[in-house]
Amino acid sequence: MKRKLLAVALAASMVVSLTACGGDGGSTGGGSGSSNIAITIFNSKMEIQDQFEEMAEEYSKAKGVDVEVYYSNDTVAAHLATRYSANDPYTLAMVDAKDIYSLAADHASDMSDQDWVKNTQYAISVDGKVVGFPVCVEARGVIYNAEAIEGITGETFNPDDYKTLDAFNGLLDKLVAGGMEAPTGVMKEDWSLAGHFLSQTYEEQPDVDAFVSALYEGTADLPNNSKWNSMMDTFDTLKEHNYAAGSPVAAEREISEQKLAEGEIAFMFGGNWDWSMINSYDYSENMGMMPVPQNTSDGTNEKLVGGGSKYFFIDSSSNTSDEQRQAAKDFLNWLVFEADGNAFLTEKCALVPAYSNINADALDPLSKSVKKYADEGKLIGNYDFLPDDHYSICGAAFQKYLAGQTDRAGLAAEIESYWSSTTPVEH
Amino acid sequence: MDTNTMSYKSKQFLMFAGVATAVFTAVVIVPFIYGLYLTFTSWDGVSKQKPFVGLSNYISTFADGAYWQALGRTMIYSVIAVILVNVVAFMLAFLVTSGVKGQNFFRAGFFIPNLIGGIVLGYIWKFVFNRAFVAFGNALSIGALSTSWLATTSGAMLCLIIVSVWQYAGYMMLIYVAGFMSVSADVLEAARIDGCTNMQSIIHISVPLMVSSFVQCLFLTITRCFMVYDVNLSLTNGEPFNSSVMAAMHVYNQAFTYKNYGTGQAEALILFVVCAVVGVLQVYIGKKAEVSA
Repeated sequence: MKRKLLAVALAASMVVSLTACGGDGGSTGGGSGSSNIAITIFNSKMEIQDQFEEMAEEYSKAKGVDVEVYYSNDTVAAHLATRYSANDPYTLAMVDAKDIYSLAADHASDMSDQDWVKNTQYAISVDGKVVGFPVCVEARGVIYNAEAIEGITGETFNPDDYKTLDAFNGLLDKLVAGGMEAPTGVMKEDWSLAGHFLSQTYEEQPDVDAFVSALYEGTADLPNNSKWNSMMDTFDTLKEHNYAAGSPVAAEREISEQKLAEGEIAFMFGGNWDWSMINSYDYSENMGMMPVPQNTSDGTNEKLVGGGSKYFFIDSSSNTSDEQRQAAKDFLNWLVFEADGNAFLTEKCALVPAYSNINADALDPLSKSVKKYADEGKLIGNYDFLPDDHYSICGAAFQKYLAGQTDRAGLAAEIESYWSSTTPVEH
Repeated sequence: MDTNTMSYKSKQFLMFAGVATAVFTAVVIVPFIYGLYLTFTSWDGVSKQKPFVGLSNYISTFADGAYWQALGRTMIYSVIAVILVNVVAFMLAFLVTSGVKGQNFFRAGFFIPNLIGGIVLGYIWKFVFNRAFVAFGNALSIGALSTSWLATTSGAMLCLIIVSVWQYAGYMMLIYVAGFMSVSADVLEAARIDGCTNMQSIIHISVPLMVSSFVQCLFLTITRCFMVYDVNLSLTNGEPFNSSVMAAMHVYNQAFTYKNYGTGQAEALILFVVCAVVGVLQVYIGKKAEVSA
C-alpha cells in the first residue's frame, strides 16, 4: 500500500511539474486600473521598438488606455499567421504594403471615415475602403557621404550635378585619382539586389503594370529594354568600384555601412532606413541621398523611388471588441493630430511623416533628403505586387551576377524565366 | 490482487503515462494530423478559407526543382557531417578515457559547444570565417584564407560541415565515453593477457561491445543533420545565391516567406518520411550488429 501511495505521489508531482511549464503566458497587461481598455500593437520596425515601448507607457498614463507593444524577429507574415491561428490577433498591426493587400479582405477593418485620410496620399485602399494607415515615407536611391567626397575634390558636392552616369563616372575617377581606391559599396543581400535595385528597373518603366504583365507573359524582352540596360550600366559602375570587389558576396552590411558612415567609401545604393545602422558608427552629418545616376532623359534620374512604408491596420475579427477598435483609431489620430504624437513619429523615431500637416525639422540627413524629394513630388511610387518569392529567387540570380558568375544576358534570362514560370499576383 | 486484468492495466497506464500521452497527443499527434490535412489545401497561412485542392501540393512539390536540390544537398551534407562528427567524437572519447592528465577538464571543454545555441554559434563562426580567417590569410599571405570561404558555393557547405562537427562532436563524445566505460575491465585485461595490442583491443573488444553507442550516436546525428536549420540560418542564410539552402530552410521559406503553406507542409512531410526511413533503417541494422560480452 505504501508503495502505491508513493507511486501516486510521484506521478502527481510529475503532472504538476508538467503543467507548471505551460502555466505562464496567461495574464497580460494587468497593472493600473482593470476597467481600462487594453489594446495590443505589433511593431515591425525593430529600430524603434524602445521608443515604442516608452511611448506606450506614457500614452497609457495620459489616455487611460492600456497599450502593449510587441516585436518579433520572424517575418511579418509568418508572425501574424501564428497569431491568427491562435485566435489572438493584435488590435493594431504594423505590416508592409504587400501584407495589407493579402490580409485586408479577411482581417482589416474599414478606416475610410477617419480624418487623417485626407492628409495623406499614401493610404492603402482595398475594394474602395481605406484599410492601411501609412506610418512613414521611405525611399531608395544612392546614399552619399559628401564630406568624404569634398575632402578629395576640394569642391562643394552638389548631387544635382551627377544625374547622368557619365558625370557620375567622372566623379568616381576623380575620387580614385585622389586616393579613394574603391569609392562604392554594394549590398549583397537578396532583398537589396532584387527587392530594391531590380524592382527599381520595373518601377521606373513608363507603365509598370503593363511591363510586369509583359514579364509574366514572357514578352518583356529585358535584354533590349532601355531602362534595364541603363540601370544595369549604373550597377556595373557601382560593382566595378566596389570596395569588396574581390569577394563581393562576403561583404557584410555592417562593414559597408560603417565604411560609408566614416567616409572610407562615398556611395552606396540603399534607403533612408540605412540610417539606423549608419548612426551606430562615427558618422558624418554631411550625408544624403540622390537618385540613381543614369544616362537617360526620361526624368527618372531626378527622382528617388519610394512612398508610404509600413502600414497599420486594425483587426476586424470578433477577437477584438468595438471599444478596442475605437481605442486603436484614437491612437492613430493621436499620432497624426496631436503634438505629442507628431513628436513621437518625427523626433523620437526620426521617421519621415506621411501626413501633410506634420512638420519635421529634426530628421536625420538621409530622411531629410527623402522629405525634400517627397515634398517636391519627386518620388516614383513603389510597386507593391511583386510575388513573394521574387526577392529570393531573382536575388540569388543577381548575386551570381555580382560575383561575376553570370553575365548580363544570363541574368536577364534567369529573371525572364522566373517571371514566366510564376503565377501572377492578383490585384 | 489480480494484475492481469484489462482494467488494472489501463489504470496503471493512465496513472503513469496518461498525462504524458495526453500532452504528446496534443502537441505532436494532433498537429501532425492537422498538418497532413493542410497539405491538401492551398492555404496561405493567414486567410480564413482553406480551399481543398486535392493532391496539387504534392504535384507542385515534385515539380519544385529547388526543393529536390535542397534535399540532395542536405543528403551530401548529412553523409559527410555524420561521418566526421562520429569519427571526431570517437577519437575525442578515446582520448578522454585513456587517462590523460586533466581528462575531466577536456570532457567539459569538448562538450561546451553543444551548450551554445545554434543561432549564436552560427553568428560566432560567421565572424570567424568572414573576418578572423581572412585577417590571418592576409597577414600571413595564405591564398586559401585571404577571401571568405562563405562567399563560394562549396566553401559555404564546407563551413556548415565544420561548424556542425564542432557543435555535435562534444555531445556524441559523451555517449562514446559512456560506451567506453561500460566495457568491463576484466574483458580488456583478459585480452591484454592474451597479447592484444592497444589498437587490437579497441577494434576487437571495445568497438563490438559498444555498438549500442554507435547506434545512438548515428541516429542522433543523422536526424539532426537532416533537420538542420538554425546554423544554416545564422551562418549562411542560404547564401551565396541560394546554394546553401538546406531542406528545412527551403520548407520554411516555401511555407512562410513565399506563403505556399500547403506546398511547404507537403515538402516537410516528405522530408519527415525520408528522415524517418533513414533513421529507422539505421537503427534496425545497428541493433542486429549488437553483441554482448
